[in-house]
Amino acid sequence: MRRSRLVIILALMWCSLAVARLPAREFPPFAPSPQPPTVPIPVVRTLANGLQVAILARHALPLVTLTVAIRTGAEADPPDLPGTAQFLASLLGEGTTHRSAQRVAELVDGAGGTLDTGAEWDDSYATLSVLSDHTKLAFDLLSDVVLHPKFSAQQVERVRRQTLSALDVLRHDPGYLADTVVERMVFEGTPYAHPEDGVEQSVRLITPADLAAFHARFYQPANAVLVVTGDVTTNQAMEFARRYFGGWKGKGKFSQPPVRPQPAPGGRKIVVIDDPGAVQTEIRIANPAAGRRSKEYAALSVANQILGGPAENLLFGALRRRRGLVYGASSDLVCYRSAGAWEAKTSAPTSDTIEAIRLILKEMWELRRHALGESDLGMAQNYLIGHMALEFDASDKIADRVLDLMIYNLPFDYWSHFPAEIRGLTRQEVLAATRRYLDPRRAAIVLVGNAADFQQGLSSFGSVRVIPLSRIDLAAANLEVPATPEPAQTAGQN
Amino acid sequence: MTERSFLRLRRIALSACLCAFGLAQNGTASVKVPDVPIHTLLLANGLEVVMAREGRAPVVAVEVWYHVGSKDERPGMNGFAHLFEHLMFDGTRNLAPDEFSNYIVRDGGEDNAYTTVDATVFWETIPTADLPVALWLEADRMRDLRINQSIFDKERSVVEAERQQHFGNEPYGDVMQTLYAHAFTVSPYRHMPIGSVQDLDRATLSEVQAFHDTYYVPNNATLVLAGNFGEKQAAGWIERDFGSIKGSSRAIPRNYPKEPPQTSERLVRLYNDVALPAFVEGYHIPADGTRDSYPLRLAAKILGEGESAWLFRTLVYKRQMAMEVDSEGDFTEEPNLFFVMAVMNPGFTPEQGEAEVSRVLNRLKRGDIPARVLERAKNETLRDLILQRDSPHRCAEALGYDAVVLQDPYLYNAVVSRFAQVTVGDIQRVARRYFVRRNMTLVEVYPKVAAGQTMRKISVVVH
Repeated sequence: MRRSRLVIILALMWCSLAVARLPAREFPPFAPSPQPPTVPIPVVRTLANGLQVAILARHALPLVTLTVAIRTGAEADPPDLPGTAQFLASLLGEGTTHRSAQRVAELVDGAGGTLDTGAEWDDSYATLSVLSDHTKLAFDLLSDVVLHPKFSAQQVERVRRQTLSALDVLRHDPGYLADTVVERMVFEGTPYAHPEDGVEQSVRLITPADLAAFHARFYQPANAVLVVTGDVTTNQAMEFARRYFGGWKGKGKFSQPPVRPQPAPGGRKIVVIDDPGAVQTEIRIANPAAGRRSKEYAALSVANQILGGPAENLLFGALRRRRGLVYGASSDLVCYRSAGAWEAKTSAPTSDTIEAIRLILKEMWELRRHALGESDLGMAQNYLIGHMALEFDASDKIADRVLDLMIYNLPFDYWSHFPAEIRGLTRQEVLAATRRYLDPRRAAIVLVGNAADFQQGLSSFGSVRVIPLSRIDLAAANLEVPATPEPAQTAGQN
Repeated sequence: MTERSFLRLRRIALSACLCAFGLAQNGTASVKVPDVPIHTLLLANGLEVVMAREGRAPVVAVEVWYHVGSKDERPGMNGFAHLFEHLMFDGTRNLAPDEFSNYIVRDGGEDNAYTTVDATVFWETIPTADLPVALWLEADRMRDLRINQSIFDKERSVVEAERQQHFGNEPYGDVMQTLYAHAFTVSPYRHMPIGSVQDLDRATLSEVQAFHDTYYVPNNATLVLAGNFGEKQAAGWIERDFGSIKGSSRAIPRNYPKEPPQTSERLVRLYNDVALPAFVEGYHIPADGTRDSYPLRLAAKILGEGESAWLFRTLVYKRQMAMEVDSEGDFTEEPNLFFVMAVMNPGFTPEQGEAEVSRVLNRLKRGDIPARVLERAKNETLRDLILQRDSPHRCAEALGYDAVVLQDPYLYNAVVSRFAQVTVGDIQRVARRYFVRRNMTLVEVYPKVAAGQTMRKISVVVH
């Protein structure tokens, strides 16, 4: 199918040239296939308390960046309190047992610094970046921020209020709703199904004691890594690491919870969140994928590049380039510690909603069936290998890649071997991984838009569940506020 | 390079006084912002070239800045610059639509483009081995872009979809547009670069073609290269690929209507589909690169950057009345706005927030700025300048901006000392001059009243 289309495009192109009687077409100069860059490998040492320290010295610019990452994030949220990891991480820097929040902010800003804290699915982190003449202060301050957060009632309430306000804004954001609901469906039965930032109900309930309990259980040196990059020597970094993090006491060896397999979906499920005022429809179509440490990660990366990655890809070609239906169309492969998702996404004008879904499903089938040619494979490999140079061309990007290694326990020289792993993949391997995960028949489809305008056309894709926007409840197992808004007795929905 | 008659090399040896100052002379910080060696060329057809060796990764950033933005769109043509940002990807005599990007991305490069009020920027960040490819591609579309009715129609609908995506569903999506439309009466900055659907719908192919012939010419363009590459070799490729493109003989129109001074406060209220009330205040300020722009940039840091910033500290932290605050100067080629915005927490009104902002601004006007606060703002600026040197792409962005909007690429290094020299008195002076109510336009946003109840979207406009 794809080949024949290419032939037609080429033929049309030559026709138009002939008609215009223009001189023959010229081509860009030849460039050799991209070579993998030389990737810096961090020096990694372990302190007596189990804290791993990864150091990558770079002296070109007078900046030092430190990150403490805890290998536990939102996936460990207590089931009744989603948002705990994020709530806790938001409070790092908002006062310690030694320094007020104002004092921390003054020190960070005075050092020309930035302090960024948060929780991802598999890690919680605090990153402090400073002008390099403040390096010692940075170690001192970051250890204080991570080891001794205060959880004062005033700060807890402030962050609670801010989080509730933010959730209130997000509730009106169709993109957020689409992402959250499709992830709920794809990750059902895994620790990744709840909203990462929590929901209104849980954020109201989280207490300082809950935060302190999470901190005591997971913020342990043996469950953490300190990544140091920038204008500092390895010796200096180790000395400061020992001085400011050596006294961090843990409870000995830390073991991650066992990984349970991600449940396979039974069949296609379609959920529409009906927003009668919408002029665009947010569209998500997703299947489960492998975890980050899976042997299939590389093959899936290649397959995702072909379906909807940054380079020439099936979805952008079908929805934007050939039809001009949408502004953007892409697919994301997200691989967490024990589960993953492969998600196609776009936002289409209401009247083109059905056509956009049809085209996405069609391209998914194409990739699954036979569309993968040797040239598609080569192009995706070239992209992924060539792009590596760009992933290591700035300090923050380099620090992020080192963090990947440390959080997922990948080999320290993982990135040096990654290009060869990508280059070594065969067409069969990529196709096998695609067929294992990408399945339009079992996809979760989520639409946020004006249902009246496309609901009829939707029935051809399967049975549809419509939830009015006003009744969406991300805390409820069935995503909906109870049908009869009776007082407390009936509130225990399931 | 100099032996080529048509390739005049302007190589300026930077004098020591322009080199890295850091802020050491003020006794505040001891780090130095390293100078980046900058070379410029001017081709016979008027194309300016700015090159900087930066970084060690085998990567180079290529940017072509066309000195045309939404401020160059005459009435009825709003969106033309943005439309061309799209059309430039739609093929040439040599390339089919989107083939351009395929050549860049196939080896892992990234490319995109954006349109501002002052310029349209096309950029590629690529493995260094692909530099000749990127140069060839940029020259190809500068030489003979293909524009026809069907491509025009397709891109017009893509631009409209983009507009919908940005402003259709986004909460608070139209607030800034409203501010600019009311703060300016004649300045072309009253229009957003994203463009007007009406103007694009009624535009004809010949108008679009004429816009292209005026602005998309080598003598209105600047080519920027930053990263790890051989400058001599690059200069040869540049001359080979761009040297034969014809420049235009017409002068580029630059006569922008001057906004008359504002004489009284303006207020607009919006009732939108938002959860929380919000407001934004816009104050007229002079163009970027003027003497006052440097203390104004530091004022923006003091007010809005980091958690020790004054607005955050009072509105978010102490009073807990706002969920979010920000303050930024929109620094551009012609005079623009400095804005302060806040999204209020439930139970607080914009009016309460505005009163608090006013108290904070008064503190600047009194000159009540401790030395450590100024030092903090300067250190944050140093960090920004260091980060501009941290990747080829960021370096090229800043260089292109200096070369095109500020008309001096060497500012990239020289700007370090301009910030170092700013005093508390300078900040007090600009605060008193610009942060006054008669110079302000205020947009307040409230959640729509009740379902079913209709309300005029803009209820009050006081001039």
